[in-house]
Amino acid sequence: MSNKDDKIFLEEYENEFSYRKSKTNLNIQFNRIAFIFFGFLTISIVFSIQLLHLGASKKISHNTKSKIDNKNYRADIIDRNGNYLVKTVSSINIGINPIDVIDKKKLLINLQLIFPNKNYFKIRKKLDRGKFFYFEKKISPENYEKIMLLGDKSIKSEEKLTRIYPQRNLFSHIIGQIDDNNQGISGIEKSFDKELKLMTKPLSLTVDADIQFLIREELIKFHYIFRSKGSAAILMNVNNGEIISMISYPDFDLNRRETVNDLNFINRATKGVYELGSVFKTFTVAAGLEEGLIEMDTEFLNLEKKLKCGNSTITEYDDKIPSDLTVEQILIRSGNIGSVRIGQRLEIDKLKSFLGKIGVLKKIDFDIEEVGEPISFRWGKCKLATVSFGHGITTTPLQLAKGYAIVTNGGFDIKPSLIKNNLDLGKNSKRIIKKGVSKKINSILRKIVTTKEGTAEFANIEGYEVGGKTGTAQKTKIGGYTRAKVNTFAAIFPTSKPKYVMVVLLDEPKTSADYIYEYKNKKGSYKGTPFNTAGWTSVEVAGKIIEKIGPILATKYIEN
Amino acid sequence: MKKTVLLIIFTLILATSLVKNSTKEIEDKIFVLKGSIRSLNIEFGDVMLEYNFLSSPSKLIQYQNKYFEKDLIKIDIMKIKEITEKNNIMKLTDFIKKE
Repeated sequence: MSNKDDKIFLEEYENEFSYRKSKTNLNIQFNRIAFIFFGFLTISIVFSIQLLHLGASKKISHNTKSKIDNKNYRADIIDRNGNYLVKTVSSINIGINPIDVIDKKKLLINLQLIFPNKNYFKIRKKLDRGKFFYFEKKISPENYEKIMLLGDKSIKSEEKLTRIYPQRNLFSHIIGQIDDNNQGISGIEKSFDKELKLMTKPLSLTVDADIQFLIREELIKFHYIFRSKGSAAILMNVNNGEIISMISYPDFDLNRRETVNDLNFINRATKGVYELGSVFKTFTVAAGLEEGLIEMDTEFLNLEKKLKCGNSTITEYDDKIPSDLTVEQILIRSGNIGSVRIGQRLEIDKLKSFLGKIGVLKKIDFDIEEVGEPISFRWGKCKLATVSFGHGITTTPLQLAKGYAIVTNGGFDIKPSLIKNNLDLGKNSKRIIKKGVSKKINSILRKIVTTKEGTAEFANIEGYEVGGKTGTAQKTKIGGYTRAKVNTFAAIFPTSKPKYVMVVLLDEPKTSADYIYEYKNKKGSYKGTPFNTAGWTSVEVAGKIIEKIGPILATKYIEN
Repeated sequence: MKKTVLLIIFTLILATSLVKNSTKEIEDKIFVLKGSIRSLNIEFGDVMLEYNFLSSPSKLIQYQNKYFEKDLIKIDIMKIKEITEKNNIMKLTDFIKKE
């Protein structure tokens, strides 16, 4: 080995292609975990986008649906037994737009084949006029199919909402009407307009179609017997305020969709404000019992036959009324002077407060808007005297029914209602009148019907324990009274444990020469109406009504 | 560890897609059923309306006047009896007790 060969040269290695750090900040390291997370993130984003898209599209379709619903949907209305009172039926109207007609002759021949009974001379004229017109309204499904199969562009179909009222006149004042744009204009249709457009289930009312029919039949019968201007009846549960029947006559057929302008068609049960007379005496006595100022046997001695107050004179209706009477006798015999004395013992504040408490002085909050407002007045000594026997004070029959319900149900406050779900079934009712007052009042009301001194013998129907108070009042006019009368009877039954209150009001009844009355507390009958008083008119109507509806109420509502 | 996480994630994705798929099928079935219920409800409503109209008191009175010779009579509540059963013995009592 040569020396040259043995030399080892050490030389520092310098690589010309040395690694230089990249200037960019991105430093992605594609290891496995990163890849998985990246994949997962992508999937999540895709899912999220899809979810958002679905959510948004659902919202849009929901909005569209509600818009369509508002225009073409309205919930049905049923009675307490599920019978339809109102049913929405969608109907289709067919119109023709002459501008789109291609072959007039061909179209007319085709239409004539489907609708042979139409006047095609008139239709041709309408086509020549060139303006859109309705060819057939509420078309049948068969004819609709046929006409659409013609495939003519000028034929336009339009879906319309129609309300059908199978009970015709029976609930005209309660249900009310709607206009062409699906807007409620009266009754329940107006006050529950929003709810009816939104609710999916039918609106359930407290009324009973069968009972309503029977009561209406009696009202119509006696409308002709007593030739009254109008009449009204309310049947209400005293314990929870549910209205089983409410009628005002004359009424109208809702299916005709007529504009009713005649004032005689007003809802007398809720809108009519009347001076109701002696039915108010029950409230005066109840107020006295409530305040502890009188008892049933409290005596009022030396009662005058006439009382002068200001310019007016208060007299007894019946001259035979004795001068010495107990509280019970005052109410049974409907004594005016005795009631005035009770009122005077009460004084203004107490009587006013009692009447306010039972809700007869102010406008009532009710399920329909057609509600009358009692006429306000200034209390004074004379006003106290007249109000005590029910004169110079006005209210609606509905408020009278409410007042009687409270006074007889044990003193519990109730709110009259037509809507089934509104009711708390008396569970949360607050007692506003002392315990014991009702029992005393009920016993007097029963005696008014059963005793010969009482004024309501014709309502003494066996088996129903009817009690009640009559009220005969002259109708008011500006500055005085007319000869026309308003005869009212407020009944409760059964008096041992009141369940129902019924108010029957006859507006301007007349006496009947031919009607035969059957006595209830004695044998025999009587032909002709001797006096135009509630005892001879509205009591008879109420008696006949109770006789007819009683078996249904007693058996059908036995569990309620 | 990494493999387990990966496996869980893929299982979850698979399970989600399977559940979603089956839910969609159920949703479709519900949609079809709802459609048929709707049409049946409409039909039921129309039949009920017809029934309510034909069986309304005014119609029944009309039929009675047209087809029957005898008048309808009202029930006397005093004649209604109540049947009660106790120890297999039937008892008949007055529905309204006399005052």
